[in-house]
Amino acid sequence: MNVRLLALGDVPPRLAETVLAELPRPYVGGEIGRLAVSLERCYDRTRAQVDAACLIEQVPQPEPGWLLLGLTGVDLFMPALTYVFGISHLGGRRGIVSWFRLHPDGKGPDAASVLVRRITTEVVHESGHAMGLVHCVVPDCAMHRSLWPEGVDLKRPDYCPACLATLNASL
Amino acid sequence: MTMPVRILVVDDEQHIRNSLATWFREEGYDVGVAASGKDALAAVAREGTNILLVDIKMPGMDGLELQRKVRELAPDATIIIMTAYASVETAVQALKEGAYDYIVKPFDPEAVSRLVRKAAERYSLLAENRALRERIAGASPALITSGSPAMAKVIELVDQVAPTDTNVLITGESGTGKELVAHLIHAKSTRRFGPFVVENCGALAEGVLESELFGHERGAFTGAVGRHRGKIEMANEGTLFLDEIGDVPPKVQVDLLRVVQERELKRVGGSETIKVDFRLVTATHRDLEAEVAAGRFRDDFYFRINVFQIPLPPLRERSGDVPALAEHFLQQFATQMNRRISGFSQDAMAALMTYPWPGNVRELANAIERAVVLCRGDRIEASHFPFAGPPASADHSLAAIEEAHIRQMLAACSYNVAQAARELDIDRVTLYNKMKKFGIERP
Ligand SMILES: [Zn+2]
Ligand SMILES: [Zn+2]
Repeated sequence: MNVRLLALGDVPPRLAETVLAELPRPYVGGEIGRLAVSLERCYDRTRAQVDAACLIEQVPQPEPGWLLLGLTGVDLFMPALTYVFGISHLGGRRGIVSWFRLHPDGKGPDAASVLVRRITTEVVHESGHAMGLVHCVVPDCAMHRSLWPEGVDLKRPDYCPACLATLNASL
Repeated sequence: MTMPVRILVVDDEQHIRNSLATWFREEGYDVGVAASGKDALAAVAREGTNILLVDIKMPGMDGLELQRKVRELAPDATIIIMTAYASVETAVQALKEGAYDYIVKPFDPEAVSRLVRKAAERYSLLAENRALRERIAGASPALITSGSPAMAKVIELVDQVAPTDTNVLITGESGTGKELVAHLIHAKSTRRFGPFVVENCGALAEGVLESELFGHERGAFTGAVGRHRGKIEMANEGTLFLDEIGDVPPKVQVDLLRVVQERELKRVGGSETIKVDFRLVTATHRDLEAEVAAGRFRDDFYFRINVFQIPLPPLRERSGDVPALAEHFLQQFATQMNRRISGFSQDAMAALMTYPWPGNVRELANAIERAVVLCRGDRIEASHFPFAGPPASADHSLAAIEEAHIRQMLAACSYNVAQAARELDIDRVTLYNKMKKFGIERP
């Protein structure tokens, strides 16, 4: 499976490249792209957040053999929920990840590397959903549910053997 | 195979229905949606439903009325009411009439996940889900269950204690797989759907350890930019594994003792009391009784954590496990590095069997990893191991020189890690990480 990481607006230099290079099996190849989206259309003024369910509709249908994943720095919500780190079409090979809520406490080189690792882990997580995986009970599997940014640090940016087997079977 | 828990989301607003359906499908539930009370009743009658999330304010049949009808039609169904702040009073009325709970929009993702998971546990279907069981089996490490009598005893102890909520202390030399045993206890406990949270207490300075464990509030100390939840809080409803508990400073021992007794904590610099529900598993390579006798470890804390002890034998006392473990690591590293290696030569296996493995399973894993890197043929030879074949000085790789230097320095400092770190001009955490990488243990 190939992955195209799409910058939805400004993405820090080399972030997408770093994340792409870290993607685990079964993602064998990929590329970086940009996608012009209208945040206006999905912006909720009363909540000062962007509706993830609306934004993901602006990510186009992927061609066969590709998975499309948008990267954004805006604060995402889903109707009825206060916030989400990302969203995807379960099995639809489309997803979005936001780093807005993934920033660690503090600054400096450590904080920067923690952030990149969190983004990578959540990209692996949403990609898994986009490939049809549901949440996993293995605590350090990327498909484990995390609701807090610190919880993302407990996972690896990789799938447990069972999730990987499910993915491989679906290819 | 049992069926997944079925959830029905009933809301007249389409985007709310759809987003909640997405959220719960990702959790692995079977999810249906209904736009009205009438549709909901039809769906319950047609397909059956375990859990209904019902919007209290809908045109036509409202949430309360739907609840009454569902209770007649499907008395076993669990009803969770969704409400806006304005109609909380009606939600309370729904509770009186038998709703399981209510939740105010917009929901905190953590709150809604927990609420539905708790409701789903009533059906216990989730726990018996075969896919889930397979996953847990896949996560529990094959490498500690290779069949020697010494390990069979360990597994017996794990099976005995795992289903209880008893605090467990795992003892044994460095590299014997204490974290794997802790993980196995978690995987076999009723908390297996909750988090398994690990903290290595030996690698952190006192202040950092405190904030890692207990969390901190914004501005609690210089550099504390935002709120940070600690490991204890994150282990809520799961298992907290504290490795190298023997290295915890006395002040933190007091704080931990309080949390273990009272099941609540305050973040560093915070005033709010947070309830926590976790199972404590600790591990150490030290002789804690001797530490208590020497006054370095509090006896009241030792008494609390040592309710049930699991001693792990060193690898040299279970050399019968070496071939199976070696095969396991060979498979693992050969796959990772994409190498075709069929096995070990007789000399290589003999070398593995006779070496005393002071660094235990971790050292064995490192030795196999290194051998896979060096191996150019389809079999691992004795010469691929640093402790057999040509002298180790023949290896001029940077890593080998670094390892030798670190070993020398540690020995020169009598394995005082802080002192050795100063001599090496690196910080303590880096040295700990390097020791772990090279399988160096403190005697
Ligand atoms: Zn997810
Ligand atoms: Zn998994």
